[in-house]
Amino acid sequence: MNMNDRIGVWRSLFVACSCLWSLTAAGQGQTGTAQLTITMTVQSSISLVFQDNPAVGTNGFCPLTNSGTNNVGLDLGSASFTGGDSLTCVAFIKNVGAGFYQVSSAFDVVVTKANSSSPNYRLAAQISAAPPANVTWLINNIALTNSAFTQLDATDNYATPITKTLQVQVKNPVPAQVLQETITFLATAN
Amino acid sequence: MAALMLWSAALFAQNPTATGTINATLINKSGISLVFDSDPGGVALGNNGSSTASLNFGVISAFGPLAAGVTRPVVGANSYTVRTLFDVQVIQAGSTSPNYTLTAQLAAAAPTGFAYAVDAVTLTTAAQTIQTNGTYGTDVQHSLNLTVSTAAPGAGGPAVGTPISATINFTATSN
Repeated sequence: MNMNDRIGVWRSLFVACSCLWSLTAAGQGQTGTAQLTITMTVQSSISLVFQDNPAVGTNGFCPLTNSGTNNVGLDLGSASFTGGDSLTCVAFIKNVGAGFYQVSSAFDVVVTKANSSSPNYRLAAQISAAPPANVTWLINNIALTNSAFTQLDATDNYATPITKTLQVQVKNPVPAQVLQETITFLATAN
Repeated sequence: MAALMLWSAALFAQNPTATGTINATLINKSGISLVFDSDPGGVALGNNGSSTASLNFGVISAFGPLAAGVTRPVVGANSYTVRTLFDVQVIQAGSTSPNYTLTAQLAAAAPTGFAYAVDAVTLTTAAQTIQTNGTYGTDVQHSLNLTVSTAAPGAGGPAVGTPISATINFTATSN
């Protein structure tokens, strides 16, 4: 191979490399841009959940099912004026009134606020149906009705467990039956 | 003699011709484009399929109802997050690039009480890398996560009851 041939080979290699470099360069570093505009409107809100009281399991503090949510269950067992209650976690009082017995259990209510300057809230409750005669449902000694919300507290603090006691008072002549209510609690920001 | 005369007649019967050439040149440049597409699991984008789309979360709150396509994966003591999905499609032409890198940045500082993230990447006004190996020519799903302080307005929380906007600039760069 003479000098001219060598130059030719090197020239060919150089051209080939340049082409490869050009191809590679053509595929890299290209950019495309786009713009996404986000919009939202923030609204104040509060939430209410029921929680087991720290004393849960002891007398007067039965466990909730689905504790930590806003839809819980509370089983008060079975009770009679003469025999007391079947559950040890239920507080039973005989002769709470003339011929009445009472079963009760306490739990906590926690109301949380977000994006609100509300200083506190008021709490009310309502039972779902009229109870039988001589049966009364109460929260902290305040009788509930199914016709309207009954205010329980006027200025409860947010994010603080508020202990509430559900009481059911039953008089002697009430026939044996299942007593059941859905109690709706309403927290309203002040 | 007769044959010679016939040949001459044929010569005179041919149409005259002329030829020319055009030396045409087209420089086929490489390029990529980026558009936003609505994701089936997210909110419907305004200007869907374009490079200047809009995304409306609607009314958001820590505990209240949300618009269709918006979820609330986290509610904490100090903040909550609302999320929606959107798709990015990057198209290449005249390029041998195998994939692309996607970056995003806020056009301006986030409003008080807000933090924005695409996928798991929190956005700032500097470009943040979202993805390093995006596939061309197909919708690539991304999540837009908006973390909102639960603080009250004026106490570190966002303004309430008024629409708040932010703009995110996306850039796709061919690898």
